Amino acid sequence: ETLNTSYQLSSVPLQIFFYVTGIYYVFYFSATLAMIVYKSQVFSYPDDFLAHDLALLFLMAILEALRLYLGVHGNLTEEEAPLGLSLVITVGSVILSVYFLVWQTYVLRADVIVNSLLLVLYGLEVLLKVTAIAAFVS
Amino acid sequence: VAKLCVCDLLVAQCDVNCCCDPDCSADDFSLFTTCSVAVVTGDSRLCSQKAAIYSLDVKANPPERIFRLIDQVNPSVFCIHATNYKQALSFSSPEMPTSENFDQLLKRFGSAAFSAEPDSWNMNTDAPNPPDANETYRYEYGVPVQTVDALLRLPSPVVSSWCSDANPAGFLVNQATKCTRSVSLEKCDKIQALSMLFYINSSILAVNITVQSIVVQSPNGMRTLLNSSDVLRLPMILDELCINIVLGVSYHITYTDAGEIIEAAASFVLGAINKEALSIQQSFEISFTQVNTVPVPLSGNPGYVVGLPVRAGFLPQGYPFPGESLLAALTTNKYSQLTILQSTSNQDCLAVQGSRTPILFGYNMISGCKLRITAATKCQPLTQTLLDLLKGQSFPEYVASFGNSQAQDVLDWVPITHLHTSEQRIYNTFQSSCQIPVSLEIEVKWTKYGSLVNPQARIVNVTATITSSTLKELPSGRERIIPITSSVVFTDISSPAEPGYKAWPTINAKLPFDFFFPFV
Repeated sequence: ETLNTSYQLSSVPLQIFFYVTGIYYVFYFSATLAMIVYKSQVFSYPDDFLAHDLALLFLMAILEALRLYLGVHGNLTEEEAPLGLSLVITVGSVILSVYFLVWQTYVLRADVIVNSLLLVLYGLEVLLKVTAIAAFVS
Repeated sequence: VAKLCVCDLLVAQCDVNCCCDPDCSADDFSLFTTCSVAVVTGDSRLCSQKAAIYSLDVKANPPERIFRLIDQVNPSVFCIHATNYKQALSFSSPEMPTSENFDQLLKRFGSAAFSAEPDSWNMNTDAPNPPDANETYRYEYGVPVQTVDALLRLPSPVVSSWCSDANPAGFLVNQATKCTRSVSLEKCDKIQALSMLFYINSSILAVNITVQSIVVQSPNGMRTLLNSSDVLRLPMILDELCINIVLGVSYHITYTDAGEIIEAAASFVLGAINKEALSIQQSFEISFTQVNTVPVPLSGNPGYVVGLPVRAGFLPQGYPFPGESLLAALTTNKYSQLTILQSTSNQDCLAVQGSRTPILFGYNMISGCKLRITAATKCQPLTQTLLDLLKGQSFPEYVASFGNSQAQDVLDWVPITHLHTSEQRIYNTFQSSCQIPVSLEIEVKWTKYGSLVNPQARIVNVTATITSSTLKELPSGRERIIPITSSVVFTDISSPAEPGYKAWPTINAKLPFDFFFPFV
């Protein structure tokens, strides 16, 4: 009764999406970390490259946490500023995901699969965020 | 991948059951039973890669080899889709140490452990020696010398004494072979191996084989060197003789110290056969010389090898200089060596002047002759003649201490010490006696040098002792025969080997001087 969509600007699909992305990201992070460990054992993976890739993975995790927090916060408080910031961080996450898809030291087929899925999720999220921001602004 | 073949081991020959060997023809394939290498692929962990599949179709008559190039897909989810690390999937060729990068290489690899990572983030590492960038051909010892179509071949006898043309010449392997070839007068211009063209036709990869000299051997064995050696003389039939057939070839290849062949020359001995000849003997030789050096045969590397001549030389103005080395088309033995009089069947000293034999390391020799003295022989010319006889025309002043001593290394040469002793008879001291040298004894002292496991022989001291005796005046009409001897003795003066242990570490335990402060 009180939950009338005309009064509530927060986007429910976006919220669901945040949860799904969060859960998927946990899986993505552990899978990529496990694969990097596997690659370092099976292939010749020099230390510089290994450190490089691991650092970027952890950076991506931090960015992801920040992004999700800001996104949830912005969506629930219906403010466009955190949501906009979350959008900007999403761009960074997209770039990192592309790195893991294309420019990583060893790109396995499993890497291609999880990263493409992540990119699809990001794409949909960006769309939803833009509509939410548009709804908040107007 | 289509060009890789693991079982192709023999150069320019077909390997058995090797279906990927490019040297095999279709007839060879029909004789195979199976393919020893069925699939040639790259790294199997790649997601998609090219694979060359070789198989034998035994149902066809004759059996044929089937070659297919397919794209193989790896079904695993952990296959490598792409890699941004260039050295990941192939062995990188290590840097060749040169004088410029030696220090840097030593810093990287000189410790007990080193890691394989590159120095920078640079993903596309460029190798310091781009492989095959300049297409310079570097040879290693024993590698067959390549020509434009095949390999440089030196005909040699295989199993029997008949010539086989399949013996490849190895780089830096000096060879000399003799073999028999069957000939006939009618077909002499058609047999390829008898014409000069066969031996200089194939050029050694950008270096043409030039004709250095041509010697013509007449049927009675006399050889004459031709003045112009640039005209190609092919076999032709002339008055029942076939002339200009090749009896001997001597290749001289000049190489640089980088392993490239820069010059090739061939010297020929041409002869003639008549119609009764059924076979001739051909001799072939190949020798390698480094550019800007004069080839001097080594008597050991570095220590002397027993049986090789002792090298010796002179000191013209300041440096020992091995006497002239003649690089003739037919190698002659004129390098400056220590020589000794050679005993011949004719024991008269004056008749065998000039016949000398080189002193071989480790072989004690003694030789001699008998000198006939009449009353008319004069002292002074006789002394001089005997000295020439014993010492030879050019008795060297220095002897090489190692078998490979170079002329520039002054300290590697040992001076010959000369001693004169005389058999003095007590009652002749006041007479103006004529001392004639009757014996020359050369004593070569050598030692073992180097490690205990592989000692090298090194000459330390050479002493030439001339013993003179008094020539008594002869009444006229009488003659005497005096024996003249010369000998060489090699004495081993090596000191016993000492093991090279390091000193035991001593414990240097001392209390600091103020240990008992404040009591002391």
